[in-house]
Amino acid sequence: MKAAILDGIVLGLAFGLLGVGMTLVYGLGGVLNLAYGQIAVLGAIVISVVMEKGVSTLLAVVVGVLAAAGVAVLLDLTLMRPVYRQHGEERTLMGLLLTLGAAFVIGGLLTWRYPVGALYINVSGEPISILGVPMAVGSIWASVIALAVGVVLLLFFGATTFGRGVRSVIQDETGARLVGINPSFVRTVIFALSGALAGIVAITHSMSGPLTVNAGFELTTFALIVAVVGGLGSVAGAFLAGVLLGIVNTLSAHYIGQYITSVILLGAAALTILIRPRGLLGR
Amino acid sequence: MLEVVGLAAGYLGERVIDGIDVEVKTGEAVAIVGSNGAGKTTLFRAIAGLLPSTEGRIVLDGKDLTRSPAHRISRAGIAYVPAERHLFPAMTVKTNLVLGAYPGRPDRGTLELAYDLFPRLKERPRQQAGTLSGGEQQMLAVARALMARPRLLMLDEPTTGLGPKIAQVAFEAFAELKKQGMTLLIAEQQVPLALSVADRGYVLENGRIRLEGASDELERDPEVRRAYLGVV
Repeated sequence: MKAAILDGIVLGLAFGLLGVGMTLVYGLGGVLNLAYGQIAVLGAIVISVVMEKGVSTLLAVVVGVLAAAGVAVLLDLTLMRPVYRQHGEERTLMGLLLTLGAAFVIGGLLTWRYPVGALYINVSGEPISILGVPMAVGSIWASVIALAVGVVLLLFFGATTFGRGVRSVIQDETGARLVGINPSFVRTVIFALSGALAGIVAITHSMSGPLTVNAGFELTTFALIVAVVGGLGSVAGAFLAGVLLGIVNTLSAHYIGQYITSVILLGAAALTILIRPRGLLGR
Repeated sequence: MLEVVGLAAGYLGERVIDGIDVEVKTGEAVAIVGSNGAGKTTLFRAIAGLLPSTEGRIVLDGKDLTRSPAHRISRAGIAYVPAERHLFPAMTVKTNLVLGAYPGRPDRGTLELAYDLFPRLKERPRQQAGTLSGGEQQMLAVARALMARPRLLMLDEPTTGLGPKIAQVAFEAFAELKKQGMTLLIAEQQVPLALSVADRGYVLENGRIRLEGASDELERDPEVRRAYLGVV
C-alpha cells in the first residue's frame, strides 16, 4: 500500500509535468496541441542522437530541450497563425486538425529517419530508501525535476510581471490587450515554454525506461487527461491532477491489475468532466 | 490631442460608423452621446484598436495610430474602459491594478491617486475582482486604466448596470479626474450625466455625427432636448 502510493506520487509528478505544457497552451487560446507528444519524442530523439556523438549527457539534454522549444515556436509562427485568427469553436476545431496534422508529420518523419530510435538516460545507482520503501534513483531524479519545474512555473506565473501578463491573457484576452499586453507574443513564448516542457518530459520519462520513437500519441493522450482533470490553464491543477491520477493508477494496478489502469484513468477523467466540467482547479 | 478624421468601421463588411470626425484637446472632457446602437461602442473600439477601421485616420499627438493593434494604442497613452469592463476576474483588486501598469509597476503616487478617487477599492485590495459589485467593478476598471498614466481616458457607457446613485458617484469621480487635468472621452446614453462633466459633445445617430457643440449649447438644442433629455 505505502509502496503503491509512493510509486503513484512518482508517476503522478511525471503526469503533472506532462499535463502542464498542454494545459498552458489551451488556457491561452483554446488550442489543444495534439502534436505535444511528438514534440517530446522529437526532443528525445535529438538527445539520443547528440549523445551518440559522444557529447556529455547534460549538453545533449540542453540541446534536446532547445530543439523541442524551437519546433514549438516554428509551429506557433506558421501553423497556429491562421488558427488564432479564428474564434470560438472554429478555432478549437482548426487547432485540433492542424496540430493533429503536425503530429503525423513530425511522428512520421522521426519514425522514417529513426525507426528504432529511443532515448534511455541511465541514472544508475543503488535504490534509495524513502519511508522504508526502496525507490529507483531514476524515479527520484524524475520526481525532483518535475517538482522543481512545478515550483519554478508557479513562481513565474505568480510573482513575475510577464507571468501575471500570461495569466491575464488566460482570464480576459481583451482586458489584457487594453492594458498593453500583446497576446500573440505571449502565446509564442508559452508555446516555446510548452515545447521545452515536452523536452523535459522526454528526459524524465527516459530515466526510468526507454522512450521510443512511437510514444507520441500515448504521451499526448495522458497529457490531455491530466490537463482536463486539473482544469485547463492551471499549473497547480495539472500537478494536483497528475498526482491524484498517478495514485489512482498505481493503486488500481496493485489491487486489480495493470490491464485495468488505462480504463480506470479514463474513467476518472470522464467522471471529473461530469462532476466538475472545468476541472479540479479550473475557473 | 486626439484627432479622428473620416473614420469608418464595422463588422462583417457592414459599416456601423462612417465619416466620423472627432477631436479632443488636452485637458478637455468630451462626450459622445446617442441612443443604443448609434455606434458609440464601435467608434471607441475602433479608436482603441480592438476593431480595425476601414477608412479614415486616428492620430494621437501627431502620431498616426490608425493601423496599430490595441496593445500599442494602450502603450501610446490611450486607456479604454469598455462597458463590459474586461477585468481579470480571478485576480485580486491589487493585481488588476498592477497589471494596469504593464509592463511596468504602478508607482505609489498613481496607486494612491486611484485609491483616493475610489476609497472602496482601497478597503478591499485582496478581494477577487470577479466578486466585486457592479459599481466596484466599474471603479476598478477605471482605476486599472489610470495605472499606466494615460494621456487620454476613454470611458464607454460607464454607468452600465449601475443604479442612479452609484452612477452619480462615478461621474463625480470623473469630474474630479478632469479637475486633476485628465483628458476624457466619454460615451454615454444618460445624456444629462455626460453633459454635466463634458465641455463639448457630439451627438451620434446611425453611425454618423449628427450634431456637435459645447455642452450647454447641446443642452439648449431643441432636438437634443426632445430626443435625449426627455423634454417634450
